[in-house]
Amino acid sequence: MAGEAPYYRAVGNEIEVFRAAARRGLPVLLKGPTGCGKTRFVEAMAHELGRELVTVSGHEDLTSADLVGRYLLKGGETSWVDGPLTRAVRQGAICYLDEIVEARQDTTVVIHPLADHRRELPVDRLGIALKAAPGFQLVISYNPGYQSVLKNLKESTRQRFVSIELDFHPADVETEVVAHEARVDVETAQTLVKVGEAIRNLDGSPLPEVASTRTLISAGELVAEGLALRDAIQAAIVQTLSDDPDVERALGELVDAFVPRP
Amino acid sequence: MTAGGPGRFRLLATFVGGRSLGVVEAPGGGPPHTDGRRVFVSAGAPASQQRREVLVQAALLGAGSLDERWIRALRGRPKLARRYLALEGRRALAALGARLPLAAALGSDAPATTASAEASLERARDRTPVEDPPAWFGAIRPSRLLGAPPAGPGARPRDEEVRLSFRPTDVPETEDEDDAEAGEESRILKLFSSPLSSDTVSDFLHKLLGSSRSAAGDAAAGSAMPTRSLRRVASAGPDARPLPVPVRVTGRRPGAAAGVGGALYPEWDEHRKRYKPEHCRVIDFPLRTRAGVAAAGVARDEVLRRRLTRLGLGPRVVRRQPDGDDLDIEALTDLFVDLRAGHSPPEHVYLERRKLDRNLGVLILLDASGSASDLDPEGRSVHDHQRRAAATLAVTLEELGDRVAVYGFRSHGRGSVHLLALKSFAQRFGAAGRARLNGLEPSGFTRLGAAIRHAGAVIEKQAGTPHRLLLVLSDGFPYDDGYESRYAEADARKALEELRADGIACLCLSIGGSTPADALQRVFGSASHASAPTLAGLSRRMDELFLAALQELAAPRRRRA
Repeated sequence: MAGEAPYYRAVGNEIEVFRAAARRGLPVLLKGPTGCGKTRFVEAMAHELGRELVTVSGHEDLTSADLVGRYLLKGGETSWVDGPLTRAVRQGAICYLDEIVEARQDTTVVIHPLADHRRELPVDRLGIALKAAPGFQLVISYNPGYQSVLKNLKESTRQRFVSIELDFHPADVETEVVAHEARVDVETAQTLVKVGEAIRNLDGSPLPEVASTRTLISAGELVAEGLALRDAIQAAIVQTLSDDPDVERALGELVDAFVPRP
Repeated sequence: MTAGGPGRFRLLATFVGGRSLGVVEAPGGGPPHTDGRRVFVSAGAPASQQRREVLVQAALLGAGSLDERWIRALRGRPKLARRYLALEGRRALAALGARLPLAAALGSDAPATTASAEASLERARDRTPVEDPPAWFGAIRPSRLLGAPPAGPGARPRDEEVRLSFRPTDVPETEDEDDAEAGEESRILKLFSSPLSSDTVSDFLHKLLGSSRSAAGDAAAGSAMPTRSLRRVASAGPDARPLPVPVRVTGRRPGAAAGVGGALYPEWDEHRKRYKPEHCRVIDFPLRTRAGVAAAGVARDEVLRRRLTRLGLGPRVVRRQPDGDDLDIEALTDLFVDLRAGHSPPEHVYLERRKLDRNLGVLILLDASGSASDLDPEGRSVHDHQRRAAATLAVTLEELGDRVAVYGFRSHGRGSVHLLALKSFAQRFGAAGRARLNGLEPSGFTRLGAAIRHAGAVIEKQAGTPHRLLLVLSDGFPYDDGYESRYAEADARKALEELRADGIACLCLSIGGSTPADALQRVFGSASHASAPTLAGLSRRMDELFLAALQELAAPRRRRA
């Protein structure tokens, strides 16, 4: 595949695990908080392995028909249209189902036969079972943080997968990532990472989510475009984390402690 | 909270102090200080000054300067406390300055001269001069730091709430549980009590053998043969548990007529790993306090309403949709007929399976015990928050057509666990009911397990819906006479397991409370609790919480050996 390799900085052994799983065609479950680099990791691996990447984002109305395909009406005739999963199975691509737990329970069941030794996708509307082409690999991601309270992956589903756990990078690596991605100097990146860590480590935090690497990078990008650091943090981190003016103000005070007012 | 309120510093304080801290103004113009849970700042001072005050107090907490072992030495010795504050405040700020630019910028007036809390205490004790701390360092109040136990349960309940009489014979007086075997029923008759609750065979044998072998005299008046499936086995399985024994309520009117019910429930003894049968007496009765209907206002929550409207429990096929999983052949045929006939109808020819069906009975069990009367920084008690949440939830669910009941619970020892019916399943949640809920005063303690067991029995009997949910609004902190910490948590957890085994889903919402999530998780399990400062914080995922709780029933249960 052409193009520049997506930037991914490994922390643990995730790349080795993924490579080994890919050689055997084992499905992979990526765990980690929002914005810690799950999607980027899959992109980097697909590029390295030279396979096409089909990404589907899970949402609560995602049905199995959305994944597998459906009949549509075309000029008075019905015609079958492959869904993204079926396409990936036929072509031998990596199919990345992002935040799969968001989808309905019945949706996760269609991937079962693909995820074990059978490696086939039953398409009941066509009455066939598609054998997966070599190179096909299933990757799903799952955010064990807030979702585990609400939605859990079924045991029978998750036991079919090889798990790779990703988390926010350690401060020095994250600084490097932010500096590289946002193209800002190391000092700015360091401040951003410090703010991010402070928000992540709040005891009894009122926030449903924490400042992810992605938000830190957005803030860095705003800085690179000439915004003052305080304003960038305000726009990309504080305002995105909460709508509650009270919490915003409290977060603002916390940020001010790192970036003193001029 | 007003825009300029010191609450804006709470995240800063939490970060610096390394623990959850609130920030409020010190009452009565006192100097800034902290009690370990809140930082008090000078009332009415400009924000920049309050910021400094928060910073130094939180830094003291974060640096461990206010740990109990140091503070004990300062009790009753204000001069020593002041010298210690000057030394430790500078040390803590200097340490913080290394990682927080703000601390470095505000800085201290003098450099740190000591390296640890121990060294500071030493120096404070000897006679070398120590530079006085600046005013914004505030003060250390050892008494507040040491003597800040969680406020105990409040007053006794009012007379009108507990005016009931019981026949004393129903109360198990002795602790000695082995005596319970005395009135055992005939084993032979038990063999014939059918799992299908048909009593014909045993009735016949009763007549045939006479009742000399039976313990009929011991049974409560009117009690039938047990209706659950009973089989005598040599050893009890992991899920075996004693059945509740109904309590007779006497008074001017029979209990049933007044809506009073009750039973003696077993309690799980975690230490001995077995049940104590007939251990807790639980009574439920309608709350009949007088309340002005003027106080019947209930806050609406549109987000909650929208979310709960979306809550569908059973699948239903929706025909003639513009988009969907499958073609609706019937609609397709009609479409083509219409097209050939020259019409051009909209192309709604898809089938969709959506979860729309609901058939939900919810019992809202509200913690009305005194432990819920702790005040939060805004002066509202946990109980206030929970009561409002209960009212809003009940009104919303009732409007959506679900069956709802609202019960408050409190206890005074194992002999009197009370469930106050604020709204039973049969009643409308009218103005009087709402006013009564709004006027509910917290008192007593929290014997959570017994309350949950009885609430489960009430749902079982009265909800009459296939989907049943027990919604507990509590701080999740069970406490009563002889009912504490691990024992209490284990009993409450056991009670919830029993309910789930009976097909009743459980969900605990902890609103406005400060119970740590791991405590809630220990009692309620990971999927069935949520906490937030206000109901609005949970509204937007209430549908998911309900679903998760109900779905947990479908999940295979993990058995504990």
